[in-house]
Amino acid sequence: MLEINKVSKVYGGKIAHRALTDVSLEVEDGEFVGIMGPSGSGKTTLLNLISTIDEPTNGEVKINGENPHGLKKQKLAEFRRRSLGFIFQDFNLLPTLSIEENIVLPLTLEGEKVKEMEKKSLQIARKLGIEEILNKRITEVSGGQAQRAAIARAMIHAPSLLLADEPTGNLDSKSSKDVMELLEAMNKEEKMTTLLVTHDPQAASYCDRVVFIRDGKFYSEIHRGEKRQPFFQQIMDTLAFLGGEHDDLSTVRHS
Amino acid sequence: MTFRQFVIRNVFRNSRLYAAYFLSSMFTVMVFFTFANFAFHPVFYEEGFNDRALLGMGVAGGLIYVFSFFFVMYSMSAFLQSRKKEFGILMIHGMSTRQIRSMVFLENLLIGVLATVSGIALGLLFSKAVLLIAENVLIVSESLSFYMPWNAIGVTFLSFSALFLCISFFVAFLLRTKKLTELIKSDRTSKGEPKASGLLVFLSLFFLTTGYIIALSAEGTQVISAFIPVAILVMVGTYFLFTQLSVLVIHRLKKERSYYWKKTNMIFLSDLAFRMKDNARTFFIVAIISTVAFSAIGTLFGVQSYLTKGLVQANPYDFTYHPYGEETIEDEKVRLVNRKLEEDGVRYEAQEVAVSDFGGIVEGDEIPILPASLYNSLASLTNLPEVAPAEGEAVVVNSNLPQAEGFNQSRNLGKKEIPLSSGEKVTPEKSVVSNVLPGVVDFYVVNDATHGNLPEPASSDKQYVWQTSGTEEELVGVGRELSDEFQPGSFTAIDFAIYEINRTYGPILFIGLFIGIVFFFSAGSFLYFRLYSDLEEDRKKFSSIRKLGLTDKEMNRIVTKQTGLLFFTPILVAILHGLVALTALANFFDYNLVEESFYVLGGFAAIQIVYFLIARTFYLRQLGKAEASA
Repeated sequence: MLEINKVSKVYGGKIAHRALTDVSLEVEDGEFVGIMGPSGSGKTTLLNLISTIDEPTNGEVKINGENPHGLKKQKLAEFRRRSLGFIFQDFNLLPTLSIEENIVLPLTLEGEKVKEMEKKSLQIARKLGIEEILNKRITEVSGGQAQRAAIARAMIHAPSLLLADEPTGNLDSKSSKDVMELLEAMNKEEKMTTLLVTHDPQAASYCDRVVFIRDGKFYSEIHRGEKRQPFFQQIMDTLAFLGGEHDDLSTVRHS
Repeated sequence: MTFRQFVIRNVFRNSRLYAAYFLSSMFTVMVFFTFANFAFHPVFYEEGFNDRALLGMGVAGGLIYVFSFFFVMYSMSAFLQSRKKEFGILMIHGMSTRQIRSMVFLENLLIGVLATVSGIALGLLFSKAVLLIAENVLIVSESLSFYMPWNAIGVTFLSFSALFLCISFFVAFLLRTKKLTELIKSDRTSKGEPKASGLLVFLSLFFLTTGYIIALSAEGTQVISAFIPVAILVMVGTYFLFTQLSVLVIHRLKKERSYYWKKTNMIFLSDLAFRMKDNARTFFIVAIISTVAFSAIGTLFGVQSYLTKGLVQANPYDFTYHPYGEETIEDEKVRLVNRKLEEDGVRYEAQEVAVSDFGGIVEGDEIPILPASLYNSLASLTNLPEVAPAEGEAVVVNSNLPQAEGFNQSRNLGKKEIPLSSGEKVTPEKSVVSNVLPGVVDFYVVNDATHGNLPEPASSDKQYVWQTSGTEEELVGVGRELSDEFQPGSFTAIDFAIYEINRTYGPILFIGLFIGIVFFFSAGSFLYFRLYSDLEEDRKKFSSIRKLGLTDKEMNRIVTKQTGLLFFTPILVAILHGLVALTALANFFDYNLVEESFYVLGGFAAIQIVYFLIARTFYLRQLGKAEASA
């Protein structure tokens, strides 16, 4: 469903900076893939290329067999709001809107019927356990609830690919666990293809597969077996080999 | 790095942050200086200039100063609001409240001095530009020359040094330090949506309608006495209109999901509701300022056209000579005019108008009756249709002078009878409207034969009129030279008379116009400043929605709506207020001001549209720039 073929990214400027070199990655339909790596390894660059916010210098990104980077600006925006769902570290919810209004935002931009929107938002809010706070404001709910609302917003239009950039970066450990369990459940139950970029080995251990990159290059990948605990251990070991600073394992925000 | 060095570097290296505040301060200084430049112009202190005009100028100067104070104050507080986080960070690193205060004080003083100096420099350029416009538009060329305005420079410098010093003290005092965490999180806390009260909404509508009704129904001198209560009613009403009614309307719209949840309406409306508290205050100030500008300019323009238009209508001929009590030399005077016109090579047609007045038609009054031949030759001079009354018929001629309204009916010539010497009576059948006979409001025209049958006239009167083919310039010249040769009041050269009115009235009109324009432009920059203070928030908002897939087109649409609403809501209200004010004024003068109101309000609306387009383009470019750098 997602095909990344020898993608490179060079940032111009006075000193050219090579952020990604020949990275290839393939994600199957319904797969839950994590991307890990130390600070500055190019995780976020890779995610930006996939989410069409940024363009690759070389190589090709294909989503459902289609290369979105060939689209015009207008079409590209429409592609994003139809085919992709986004979850951000800082939630990116609009403070002027209520939780429910935030959730239905992608549908309103598409011009869907109000009845339909109300039905869908209630449906997804129930699934995520936030139907009580639908009428509240962003400033009135906890971080975990806000991130669940953001997940609801990312999924309400049934995108073909869900992109999560450090979704647990701003959350305490309990909320992190809740959010990751939800993402896992959505992936299993709704067959939602999910790509997760994270620093947090705990969060990464919910994935089916974790890809490590370092200095903009593919480093290794590991698959999860039956149990989550040993997978977590494996991730820790790989990170230790990766040679990142010890700090990188914490959930402190780096960008 | 000493503390003072830190403050100065903080300003210069953060110049982008300070730019908006600096520019609005500089603009204010420039406006004040340009005004002072005119107010201190030597020509106004020469002899013969109206004391009342000087007083008016003093009042206007004071108004501009008070307005500047509030404008700078408002800019300052908006500017400080956006820097709370910075203060928080500085305080974490150990800056004391006193130091913060002295920092803000020093910053303000620095910006104030820079703004004052550069404002005066720009004002000098601007004055020259305004003088150029004034020379071309108004007849003040000979009297308002450019001069080196040391007085104005001194006054502006002192006033604004005082102003900035005062504001610096005030702001430093105002800056009550809240808890550190509050300062640091200040950009995240919600301002909350204002609530509308049903009672106040009702009061707003009630006050506005009452004010309008009083203003529109007042007649004559009542307008003056109604002015203050109406102004208060309308001001209070306008304030509640923006703070209450607008909130209510937005709330209603938000409840209507089929509208609110449609496309970009949600983003647009929710922001609007969120910002209404800030917007309402700006809207109120802008609406009131613009209303003052409209009414001031409308009044001056109206008075001028009342004077000149009335004069032109009352004097349809290029020259009119009415020899009051100098019948012995009138032939000589007429020849003088003819000779002067011939000397200057102006082609002319002259006509002697001998009018006989008859008694016995209207009680205690004498009515002029003209033979048709005389009337028709006058009508052909003024390009009016001729009349042809049959024998035994009469035509009533009414003038349509604005000054004579209400006067016509009292004599009611259409219902009267004209006695002939044979004892028969002639009743008027028709009536026409024309101003062919200067100085006479209404009279009869009868057939030449019938005119011979009229009884002995009670009195008679003679005038001479000239109609020429000369250009305006030639006629003004001839008029100027001839005016000295005649007794005051006996000779009217209409082009020269208008020229004289414009010349004496020009500077007053110019100053009124200038004040109005200054007010109006200040209102515009007020709006732009309001828009600008939301820029940072909008940047963040749009960059996150664009990631979700908001197209550029949709963003432009939202910004256009947002800016449009900001620019046109207060102006529409002001135009409505202005229309009512000008209508009331027309009632006072008993003179139709529709055309003048249309020009004034239309002109302002056009400027506002240009303003809106510029602001929108700039704002979109700013948003785009943020996008590129993010």
